[in-house]
Amino acid sequence: MANSALELHGIEAYYGDSHVLQQVSFRLGEGRLLGLLGRNGAGKSTCMNVSVGLLPPRAGSVEVFGATVTRLPPESVAARGVALVPQGRRIFKSLTVRENLMVAAHAGFATSHEPWTADTVFAMFPRLAERRGQLAGYLSGGEQQMLAIGRALMANPRVLLMDEPSEGLAPQVVAEVMATIRKLKESGLSIVLVEQNPKLVFDIADDIVILNSGRVAVVSTAEQLKSGGVDLRQHLGVF
Amino acid sequence: MTFWLLLTVNSITFGGLLFLLSAGFSLIFGLMRIPNLTHGSMFMVGAYLGTSLLGGTSGFTLNFWVAALIAAVEVAILGALMERLLLRRLAGQQLAQVLVTLGVSFMAADLCLMGWGGDPISVATPPHLAGFVRVDGAAFPLYRMAVILIAVVFAVALWLMLERTRLGAMIRAGVDDPQMARVVGIRVSQLFTIVFALGAGLAGFAGIISGPILSVYPGLDQDMLPLALVVVILGGTGSLLGSFVGSIIVGFIYNFGQALLPELAYFVLFLPMVLVLVLRPQGLFGGQIL
Repeated sequence: MANSALELHGIEAYYGDSHVLQQVSFRLGEGRLLGLLGRNGAGKSTCMNVSVGLLPPRAGSVEVFGATVTRLPPESVAARGVALVPQGRRIFKSLTVRENLMVAAHAGFATSHEPWTADTVFAMFPRLAERRGQLAGYLSGGEQQMLAIGRALMANPRVLLMDEPSEGLAPQVVAEVMATIRKLKESGLSIVLVEQNPKLVFDIADDIVILNSGRVAVVSTAEQLKSGGVDLRQHLGVF
Repeated sequence: MTFWLLLTVNSITFGGLLFLLSAGFSLIFGLMRIPNLTHGSMFMVGAYLGTSLLGGTSGFTLNFWVAALIAAVEVAILGALMERLLLRRLAGQQLAQVLVTLGVSFMAADLCLMGWGGDPISVATPPHLAGFVRVDGAAFPLYRMAVILIAVVFAVALWLMLERTRLGAMIRAGVDDPQMARVVGIRVSQLFTIVFALGAGLAGFAGIISGPILSVYPGLDQDMLPLALVVVILGGTGSLLGSFVGSIIVGFIYNFGQALLPELAYFVLFLPMVLVLVLRPQGLFGGQIL
């Protein structure tokens, strides 16, 4: 069994009085890709917010490579090698493309892979290189998504969390983004991929976790799910 | 004609002082969402500390500019302490921040009254700038020209810092989306301290260099704070360009208002603020930091 890159254990999380996550536990193995699925409002993004320290859980623990990061502030979690590509991209609109990358630069945990710098990000996304001096707010949706991914990589993370990177993108751009995720996985990065659309995830994921109404409904390998052991429609709705 | 020219120079000078005061106020509000009502106090404390360094009450007499810089650094340190010890504990509680900064401003005013007494203290114009520039029969005080120059130099320096350095990009990222800035690893709380100290230091510096023009007196803080508020609301919070343009506008309105409609000076001053708040609440340049 591979080491745990990220482990959530018995997480109880609230937004105000509303109980969003109940006893949520799952683990991401080192070098693996975990697909986190669920309907709108199932608690997927909340899991991401808890993992990066934006939402401290009331109970439970978050571990990154065996070290507890529960209730650490987000900048400290980032320093432990966790990077987020957030839902809605949330790039810094009033910064240029290049500045968006520079503010996130960190030596981090460069693995066998050559460390990420603005130049290596630009090599991966040539369209961003063409627009490096432009304000990020003027980029197209696909370009903003690439920038959000590039920004996350600039910290040279060990764990990459991607929250619905396909949201609102044209199909050919989605394909491009998925190809990038595949490349990152092959480079040895441990990845959590949050999606509403399971078709995108099944091809690429090693493990699958399905959330339903704030609870973990299914934990499985992608292989098992593909062979039809679980009725997905019950948990994910019709699609 | 000379009257109008002088009034114009005075307006621009006053605008320059207001810029030094309000640039920090605006950055602090833009980044930290703290309406810092001690900003006028920082202006006044800087002025008082400067007079002590100049007047020899502390046992020695310094060159005007050295005294101004030391006073600015002292106020910056006070600002950093205030941010670390008080405001940090009130993150996100805007009403508490308003009340605490208001309370501290009253406390600072009392301490200044105790330390420096109730009489206005006049500050001598630095001797090398005591002269006049004569243009076409009109005489413009050299010192006021120097203040305009200083304000422009600081505006350019602040712009370069925000626009061309990594620190500046981090501050802008923090203004854009503070939560996301923390997630990408930016130590936003350190930025808060840096920006708060910088804003305080600029206000203190403005305070002492305004000494030869305004002199230093109890109540100076409460005279300046509303002006900074008007500047920032006109220009838009968090916007350096907004502070600059807003300062010049307010400098003109204030000086022309006092000269032409002295009994309505405050009416004329606050009317544009009210209109902007109602018609364009983000300010003339709101939502863009530069």
